[in-house]
Amino acid sequence: MGATDILLMGVIIGGALYLLYRSVWKKKGHCSGCCSEICEMNKKYSSRC
Amino acid sequence: MSTMTEERLQGSSRAALRAEKKAITVGVAGNPNSGKSTIINAIAGTRLHVGNWPGVTVEKKSAIFEYGGRKIRIVDLPGTYSLSPYTQEEIIARDYLIHEKPDVILNVVDATNLERNLYLTVQVMELGIPTVVALNIYDEAEKRGHTINRRVMEDMLGVKVIPTVATKKIGLDDLLKSLLEVAENPSAHCPKHLNYGDDIESAAKMLETQIGLTPLAEKYPPRWLAFKLMEGDSQVSGEIKPDDSGLSVSKAVGHLKTAHDSDIESIMADARYAQAFGLTREVLQKTESGNIELTERIDRIVLNRVLGIPIFLAAMWFVFKLTFDVSKPFADWMSAMTAGPFKGWAEAILGLIRAPGWTVSLVTDGVMAGVGSVLVFVPVIFAMMFFITFLEGSGYMARAAFVMDRAMHTIGLHGKSFIPMLLGFGCNVPAIYATRTLENPKDKALTALLVPLMSCGARLPVYVVFIGAFFSAHAGTVLWSLYVMGIVLAIIVGICFKKTLFKGEAPMFIMELPPYRRPSFKSLMIHTWEKGKHFLIKAGTYILAVSILIWFLLNLPWGVENKKDSYLGKVGQIIAPVLEPIGFGNWEAASSLISGVIAKEIVVGTMGEIYVAKPEDEKKNPSTFSEDLKEVGTSFVHAAEDSAANVFSTVGISSLSSKEDEKRAGLKAVIQKTYTPLSAYAFVAFVLLYMPCVVVAIAMRQEFGTWKWFGIAFVYQMTLAWGVAFLIYHGGKLLGIGG
Repeated sequence: MGATDILLMGVIIGGALYLLYRSVWKKKGHCSGCCSEICEMNKKYSSRC
Repeated sequence: MSTMTEERLQGSSRAALRAEKKAITVGVAGNPNSGKSTIINAIAGTRLHVGNWPGVTVEKKSAIFEYGGRKIRIVDLPGTYSLSPYTQEEIIARDYLIHEKPDVILNVVDATNLERNLYLTVQVMELGIPTVVALNIYDEAEKRGHTINRRVMEDMLGVKVIPTVATKKIGLDDLLKSLLEVAENPSAHCPKHLNYGDDIESAAKMLETQIGLTPLAEKYPPRWLAFKLMEGDSQVSGEIKPDDSGLSVSKAVGHLKTAHDSDIESIMADARYAQAFGLTREVLQKTESGNIELTERIDRIVLNRVLGIPIFLAAMWFVFKLTFDVSKPFADWMSAMTAGPFKGWAEAILGLIRAPGWTVSLVTDGVMAGVGSVLVFVPVIFAMMFFITFLEGSGYMARAAFVMDRAMHTIGLHGKSFIPMLLGFGCNVPAIYATRTLENPKDKALTALLVPLMSCGARLPVYVVFIGAFFSAHAGTVLWSLYVMGIVLAIIVGICFKKTLFKGEAPMFIMELPPYRRPSFKSLMIHTWEKGKHFLIKAGTYILAVSILIWFLLNLPWGVENKKDSYLGKVGQIIAPVLEPIGFGNWEAASSLISGVIAKEIVVGTMGEIYVAKPEDEKKNPSTFSEDLKEVGTSFVHAAEDSAANVFSTVGISSLSSKEDEKRAGLKAVIQKTYTPLSAYAFVAFVLLYMPCVVVAIAMRQEFGTWKWFGIAFVYQMTLAWGVAFLIYHGGKLLGIGG
């Protein structure tokens, strides 16, 4: 296994981890395709309700 | 000079152009299930989720479209019965109307239930914002012999009233024209002040005068603010602090309290109901048909105290049977294609570009085995979503919540809590968000804790693989048993929580039952797609990512010969002893369950990757590209024929016990060698019950602002999953079944 292979593996693993972070964590549990303003509304009202 | 003038002219024309192009904002308010989202979908071409049950829209959503050369931004607000600050939907709808001040309010009124809907209309009138009333579902009102005199209604309210049938796009052009007309000339379309009687009016007038002298008059509609201060609205009083603003509320309401000997909120509610009642009497004419309506006739059976729950369980069983019958041939087709031609094509393409050997393995044994194992079940998921959408659209889901009301009361909740749970059959994430329809914070938290016990679509692939391998002759019944297990355990766990964490009386609840409707085919297709595409997007995002990571974990340290010695294998071996007493103490099961924490369908994807390289599973299919293409096409046609035949089949789940299935070696074959029927059933029960997936965890954190509830869910679900699997495995062994 050469340096190119190791570099390519790093890129693939990094890409997969970023995809996971972006789709699971960054979207804060929203269903894909959810375009609502649920986050702001919830932040605003969660303390009251 | 001329240049400056020209610049000024250009500037003013630009300003005029900007003004001309300014989007009109329309806030859509109305009772739950009055058809707000359906109207928006019909006029703006959007695909907002609609369903024939109350509480489908729980947050505001907007769409922009053009009509008559003007841009219109239409905002769908959650359905509410009033504008009081008791539920989150009411607060969201009210705050939007007060603070964002739309140019026009579109008040959608269910014409079949005029009086109740007008109670909200009366409150909308108090805001003084130009309003258009859509008398929706007008065709059903006419069928029932109701005639509404819209001219009289327009005179009484001072706003335009347009009859509409959103599902058939009737009256929508008139509605849009009216919205434009009102937006362009708002002062001519301000709602009339409805007279609530001398006592209320004089108290309100006194406060209005005081409000007019403060900056509050610019922020709030004075008449509405006066009413809210009189009622002692906690949110408004908290926001403006009337004493600091120099408003003498107690002086204004003093006479009212003495004269009526009641609290002001009740006096105001009575006055509004009186207006709604009076309006209805003036404009509505009913012709007695004498016939019992279809809805009532069906409800006499499905809401029967004895038959209600058995009918609900039977409906669920029928849905699962149909799901399998319709989708299984397509799932088989996808499975054969991903393992055959698609894999061959990927290998050929990678060979052409001279990709390193390990990348070929990454794509075929990692991505294609992982993502492919999940994609195979897309037809099953779509079929399930189709039938759930049908039940929602027909109005049966609301009945299901109604018949479950008594069972829900035993756990201190009411039927309304069952609605988020029913949504959980699709996906637990929107179900967690739907708990906001519940007024009581304790109800919300308890319902959210029970939602993960509802079997979501993501768990289907796991069930299908194991049921197909061991219980193919009774697939529908076994699948049904898993869903029923989730509901029964939710009731038992709910009782435990009610006696410990959530002590208190179960609140009373009056459930609105919408009439039965036949959902249109187009609407069914759109909403099935909207629900199902979530799983496709998941396959392309985190299932893809996890498949790649799992492949690396199965191949690191680099060059590892036996997957058992890989990093994933070692972690699996550490956990496996914990699973030993419940019948599946192998590292493969443990590793799959770990990856399933991201999303439950990944359990199957990981198993696909783990078992893919076993020599006995390898099947080479040397064929040309054109032969492959022909095979793809012909096998798809056969799948469609089988699916159609299965719908009409009256004998069991024929497709799951097909000879093709028995012959096909693959994931099922490996599972058959590794598990017994008993340990397989314990495994799927464990998958049903063990901790919520990461996305649900984040949704819980988002909805409640704390990790506390997820922590509780994690602990109790892991304990419950292990305990139930133990009971199934050892109970079954003791009884001598399935070992």
